[in-house]
Amino acid sequence: MASKDLVLESATDRNVRFERDALVFMDQLYAAALRYTKNPEDARDLVQDTYLKAFNSFHQFEEGTNLRAWLYRVLTTTFINTYRKDQRRPQLASGELEDWQLAEAQSHTSDLGKSAEAEALENLPDSDIKRALQEIPEEFRIAVYLADVEGFSYKEIADIVAVPAGTVMSRLHRGRKLLREKLADYAKELGYTTEPREEKS
Amino acid sequence: MSHIEEIPCVEVLSSVVFIVEGAIEEAHNPQAISTHLSTCLACQAEVAHEQAMHSLLQDVLRRTCDEKAPEDLHRSIHEELLRQASATTGVTEVVTQFSMTEISIEIDEFGNVEHREIQIEQTHVERYEDS
Repeated sequence: MASKDLVLESATDRNVRFERDALVFMDQLYAAALRYTKNPEDARDLVQDTYLKAFNSFHQFEEGTNLRAWLYRVLTTTFINTYRKDQRRPQLASGELEDWQLAEAQSHTSDLGKSAEAEALENLPDSDIKRALQEIPEEFRIAVYLADVEGFSYKEIADIVAVPAGTVMSRLHRGRKLLREKLADYAKELGYTTEPREEKS
Repeated sequence: MSHIEEIPCVEVLSSVVFIVEGAIEEAHNPQAISTHLSTCLACQAEVAHEQAMHSLLQDVLRRTCDEKAPEDLHRSIHEELLRQASATTGVTEVVTQFSMTEISIEIDEFGNVEHREIQIEQTHVERYEDS
């Protein structure tokens, strides 16, 4: 008999435990839902749906494992299954995922380009940061958000999003690159000169 | 007799995400990458820049994405959970508990029993009736 079989928990105790342990993540989940859905009303609904689903399957959650990661999995799955059903997005071709490293001909950037990029990023207003996140494709946005805001490892993200770890790595790589390109564009509009892709032979 | 494949800068640069994620061992050729990095100053600078930009980007994103859930959302979720909970309680819940107790025996060199072993297995059924 595994030790968990010795634990007795009534439905009432379980409800209390859910309220105590799961609801503290509401602000974080809401901020994530805003990034996923891009609007406050859908974000609200998504968070509410997420909590109801999580509550009803809380008996399946294994105590001692990562509750926050589990809630993000429910959030992400709910979002993918419900909120973007109508806007069928074309999925990435499978070959594209494996070839991503080769497809990107990268070169060294100049020192000037490096410091200008950092300076621009530090000075961009929050509204531009949010706009840039909204403009990158959904699968990249979710991966970058989970990694860079929530601090999940690429392996945890693979579990949350239900894709292979290698796919998460490529989404992080491309997503961050797209995000930085957008931010560099906005910086240019604000008068910063960033040439992050300047080549040095 | 160590033979390490030499790789061009471009291959190192396209693997930067693995380095940033602290998972260089997951890249195609981690050994070749670290060998290249130990001698190529341009790539070292590039990796350092990517790491700095990554942590800067994280800081900026975390500062920006810190919205709080509206107060009425907290309330409405709490109320909804209470409703769900009262729909499921009031039902008799049967919980079955298994338990096992073991006591060991030791016999000394003269054949005297010092400890006995008793094993008790029991199944215990409890009912919760919320009304």
